Amino acid sequence: MKNMNDILLVVILLSVLLSLASNSLGTLVKIMAVQGVMVSLLPLLLEHHSSMGSGGLIFFQVMILIKGVLIPGLLYIALKRISIRREIEPIVGYHASLFAGLIIILLSVFITDKLHLSMPSGHELLLMTAITTISAGFFLMMSRRKAITQVIGYLMLENGIYLIGTALTKHSHTVYVVEFGVLLDLLVGVMVMGIILHNINHAFDDIDTDLLNRLKD
Amino acid sequence: MNFFLLSLAIIVVGGTIPLLTFRHFVLTKCIYVSVTAVGCISGLSALLSAASSPESLAWSWAWQHVFTLSFSFDSLSLFFLLPVFLICPLAAMYSFFYFERAENSLKTAVSYFFTNILIVSMALVTAASNMLAFALVWELMSISSYFLVMYDYEKVETRTAGYLYFLFAQGGALLIFAAFGVIFSHNGSFDFSRVVGIPDSAKLVVFFLAFLGFGSKAGVFPLHIWLPHAHPAAPSHISAIMSGVMIKMGIYGILRMYFMLGATDIRLGQTVLILGMISGLLGVLYALGKRNIKRMLAYSSVENIGIILMGAGFGMIGIAKGNSLMAGFGFAGCLLHVLNHSIFKSLLFLGAGAVIRKTGISRVDLLGGLMKRMPITGKTFLAGSLSISGLPPFSGFVSEFLIYFAAFQGLKYNHINLLLSIIAIISLAAIGGLATFCFTKVVGIVFLGEPRTEKVRLATDGGWTLTVPLSLLAIACLGIGIFPAPFITLAFSGLADVSFVSQVDPQLVQTIGTNLGFASRLFLIIIFAVILLRKALYRRKENTAGPTWGCGFTRPTTRIQYTGASFSRSVIDFFRPFALSRETEVRLKKIFPERTRYASWVEDVAEVGMRQGLALPLLSLLGKFRWIQHGNVQLYIGYIIVAILILLLILFI
Repeated sequence: MKNMNDILLVVILLSVLLSLASNSLGTLVKIMAVQGVMVSLLPLLLEHHSSMGSGGLIFFQVMILIKGVLIPGLLYIALKRISIRREIEPIVGYHASLFAGLIIILLSVFITDKLHLSMPSGHELLLMTAITTISAGFFLMMSRRKAITQVIGYLMLENGIYLIGTALTKHSHTVYVVEFGVLLDLLVGVMVMGIILHNINHAFDDIDTDLLNRLKD
Repeated sequence: MNFFLLSLAIIVVGGTIPLLTFRHFVLTKCIYVSVTAVGCISGLSALLSAASSPESLAWSWAWQHVFTLSFSFDSLSLFFLLPVFLICPLAAMYSFFYFERAENSLKTAVSYFFTNILIVSMALVTAASNMLAFALVWELMSISSYFLVMYDYEKVETRTAGYLYFLFAQGGALLIFAAFGVIFSHNGSFDFSRVVGIPDSAKLVVFFLAFLGFGSKAGVFPLHIWLPHAHPAAPSHISAIMSGVMIKMGIYGILRMYFMLGATDIRLGQTVLILGMISGLLGVLYALGKRNIKRMLAYSSVENIGIILMGAGFGMIGIAKGNSLMAGFGFAGCLLHVLNHSIFKSLLFLGAGAVIRKTGISRVDLLGGLMKRMPITGKTFLAGSLSISGLPPFSGFVSEFLIYFAAFQGLKYNHINLLLSIIAIISLAAIGGLATFCFTKVVGIVFLGEPRTEKVRLATDGGWTLTVPLSLLAIACLGIGIFPAPFITLAFSGLADVSFVSQVDPQLVQTIGTNLGFASRLFLIIIFAVILLRKALYRRKENTAGPTWGCGFTRPTTRIQYTGASFSRSVIDFFRPFALSRETEVRLKKIFPERTRYASWVEDVAEVGMRQGLALPLLSLLGKFRWIQHGNVQLYIGYIIVAILILLLILFI
């Protein structure tokens, strides 16, 4: 079981690195779908969650559906509608981003070490992955110009927050307040951004966030 | 079943129905007015039944399992509920006349909704008995009244007034919450009944923080700036509710905080008294200088808040000095003036609203001759004016008399209290005189003389939805003046739970009330006798009537009439350092001069001071940080990361 966990975490880390290095938006959405599924699978496989009621099981299945299908689907539709394929001229280049991703992983290990949280055994890697995902999400938002990439960065950030929630809850719980909160945030964020993207595209014929600068007072 | 809660529920329902039925305009108005009236009347009857056993109405409710909201009543809160349930249904009835344009029906429905939310929240403010409940309903009151002020949101000046009001309401709330925070840090309890236990030094801080906060709601000088902007912007019946009832909640807060703290420091009373005098004098002075009729009424509210605070100040000094007569009559005058002011100020606002609605003009100097065209509005406005000027036999006289009575008690002491009492008596007299002057100006310019424009010439009284509220309020003004005894007893019963004040001999109160009533009735009889005598004497003589301000010209024009500006000029000039009167320079250059313009206006010291001393420096300082907002999303995210990093660093170090 523990190996299974580690495999999932490694896949998440790889997806983070891949997302930093990929320049095709379609690929990015697919990576996010995979990452979403992995992230929502993880609590099912953790040991202290093993005695889970049917309500919890249904909840996590819904979670997989939303994170793995619904949100990427919405993003994909948005992508189709504004018909752009690639992130051109990122603020930080792809190779540099990949390198930054590696540094982020190192930093996360350092921070996890420093935090001295009393974690359930075997969760150290989980916390590290979570912090990496959050930081990489931030990095993605800062280093790319297209609004849709920023939504994806935001998604990654929320995935990281969800992971931290999973890592820190020691006992199986019945009230999924944090998880629901994150989910709601995500859905609203994606929907709002979908609408805004459509409108920006309509107004400027592009979704470059540099154009958003004009909106300040 | 709690009858009081039921009536509040009826009022909320009355406010919600218009949102659903706004497509049928007249029907909506009918339903709203009737349901709201039923709610307020049942609230009144709940009030009456509660007067004997206020404990029966207390209730509390655990909100979110964490906070407990509790409400209960004592004599003070019951007294302050009276204007809420008396004035609001009349204002609602008046709105039937005031909102006449069916195309605005959605706006009207929204306004109705927030009006009733405001009524309910005001009723709950008086009932709240712990800090959380108070904070919640206080905010509800501020926010709902903000939406009411913003009724004409299309106009720039309305929006400015709305923002200004919001700023003052929230700033005041901040100070009140700060006061609550200080209390909580000392005794760790949200309950009002446990506030007494905090140390004396903290009591002083709490009182002054709360006084500033409540003062900004009540309109105490120099925190009154929002009043003269918000009242002209809001619909007239909303101004009536806000000026007549809502700003009294500030007074309620000050009194509640004072009684709750049980502080006996004499400095509290002295400060309140001095601020009351300043508000009273400067309020009436600016009222004199203003040309917009509703702005003038707003300043007159500042004046009356000043008088109310003077009463409260005498009450507090009385308690500090151990003089139960001074305390009793000071607080009773304060409470009775609260009731009186809510009646005559809403009467005046409703009358002014009728004039504005019928003529479309709010500048005093452009109206004229309305007494003949709108007789009921004119006569009731006159009654309100007499009352607000504190002239017998109207209601304002009674409450001011009680405050005078308390002030004369202060002459027994020496040093600063003697000085304060003398100054207070003089300023009370000066306020009364100036108020008479001010309302002579308004009635004289607006209702007497000849109409100055065509629209004024064609104005008429509205239907019964206008005249009935006006007449009822005017009758109440006269009634309290002629039969003051029960109302003075009522004001004292509002203080029944203040143990110190209840030492006042009820026999004495009764005697004063009876004598006052006798004097008022005598005064009224003398007036009628003089009128009859004059009629009798002039019956045989030849009478001719010419146009007002005809001045013997063969072809007089309405423009030769006396204007409000010239009428008040001499008084304003006398108070020059406080009333910044400005005028444009008129210089004739050629032999045949071209058309020239002249304008004069009076500026508010507090407003100018706040603009130049606070707002402009703050703006220029904050303007230097404009570069932070550059519009680059990526850098904004960078800000967030920097903030998180700094927080983490603080955590690690």
